[in-house]
Amino acid sequence: MTALLRLIGVGGVIAYRALFNWTTPAMFVGTLLVGPLFQLLFFAYLGRQLGVADDGFYITGNAVLAASLACVFGGTMAVSNERRFGTLGHVLLSPRSRTAVFLGRVLPYAANGLLIAVTTLTAASLLLGLRVPVDALPGLLLTLAVAALACGFFGLTLGAIGLRFRDVWLVSNVSVALLLLLTGVNVPAAGLPAWMRVTGELLPITHAAEAARRLVAGEGFGAAAPPLAAELAIAVGYAVLAATLLKLFEAESRRRASLDTL
Amino acid sequence: MIAVGALLHAKQLSRSPFEIATALIVPVVQATLAVYLFRAGGEPGRLLEAAVGAGLMGVWSSVLFGSGGAIQNQRWQGTLEMIMLAPRPPALVVLPITLATALTGTYAMVATLAWGRLLYGIPLTFAHPLAFAVAVPGCIIGLGMFGLLLASTFVLLRNANALTNTLEYPIWLVSGMLVPITALPGWTGPIAAVLPTTWGARAVREAATGSGPTWPSLGICLAISLACLALGAIMMTHVERRARAAATLALA
Repeated sequence: MTALLRLIGVGGVIAYRALFNWTTPAMFVGTLLVGPLFQLLFFAYLGRQLGVADDGFYITGNAVLAASLACVFGGTMAVSNERRFGTLGHVLLSPRSRTAVFLGRVLPYAANGLLIAVTTLTAASLLLGLRVPVDALPGLLLTLAVAALACGFFGLTLGAIGLRFRDVWLVSNVSVALLLLLTGVNVPAAGLPAWMRVTGELLPITHAAEAARRLVAGEGFGAAAPPLAAELAIAVGYAVLAATLLKLFEAESRRRASLDTL
Repeated sequence: MIAVGALLHAKQLSRSPFEIATALIVPVVQATLAVYLFRAGGEPGRLLEAAVGAGLMGVWSSVLFGSGGAIQNQRWQGTLEMIMLAPRPPALVVLPITLATALTGTYAMVATLAWGRLLYGIPLTFAHPLAFAVAVPGCIIGLGMFGLLLASTFVLLRNANALTNTLEYPIWLVSGMLVPITALPGWTGPIAAVLPTTWGARAVREAATGSGPTWPSLGICLAISLACLALGAIMMTHVERRARAAATLALA
């Protein structure tokens, strides 16, 4: 058990350092901390001007969404960059559980996403004057963590798809854009068509944003628990889907000798 | 040479399925988001403005990422030395690349307008069709010239990618592509006033909706863009000389 946890934890951190190699401190701050903050401000001002919802709606929703950028792309990179750097074969030759190896890789990205979401929420609250009840903070932190984890597993699922299809970055870019639209973060769910609402409910962020809004509104953890549980279920669902797809596509890649085909 | 070069680079960019799909799909998602936001805000009469605004956002993204990485992309392709060896000023060699990124950005504009018309029935009844037909290419040429300044500035910065990733939303916001500038804090006004994106977006919006005279805005956009072009040309010459002297042209 210790060995498994070590594989998941230490293996994940080493892979994070190796595969997240494009990041310099300036790039990290610019892309992952400042970028999401401007995204939040853009939608807060747009929503304010159109009178769609108050600042709290946009600040909370976009702070939760802020985790998605690092987590979705990170989860995708966790698989795709192995192939890009020519090390995928080595990983798949390992006698250890590949499910554990890949699921463990999501953890550092989820921690990254949590940091980004907390920073975005703090900065936006200070800039736009949102007051978050102090007793809501532990629940809010838990909500952001679950959202980050769900996004990480969603990204890992996309990364698994990258084992089979070439343009995984296109899929990731479009997925991140779709999260903006379908999760009800920027357009209240009531304003979206039914099929978009249903699709959104199957995506990460949607339920976490709902839980976070209830917490910020001071409704208490009891009110936020159902959507939070739904987000956790989404996270588990994507983790299972990612593990299944990784297994399936690994076998397929071996059979077709297309493991390192870019 | 500029026209042929821009066409060549536009063709090259158009060969990339990733570039094309991203240029088409992401702006369409943003246009859809804008349409639902405007509807939720009880502004169904402004849907054309939303579609045009989302298209302009796509043009800016194309210029920002394309021009910002123009030199680096040539370096990765191994063609930077060859284009710098051409017996022409470096700005004239790089300008077609940045113009091409703005040209391929028009895919976004076409996609958002077609999407809005076909799916949401947004009538493409422009208040001043002729002005719109002039304002869009004018805005694109202006942004292409602004792109040269971006390309020459970014090549000096080691972490230009960080700036590229960070500049997308702020320019969308400050230039009033979807959010009116009047809704923003007053201190953003002077920043907006010196950006060609602000005036270009304004000209296109005015032509589409008839909210004001198009020509002054377009004129200011082109004037600022020309200033950016001159500044970019000076910087590009300086950067080229420095890179030749230090033998770092091919080094990232």
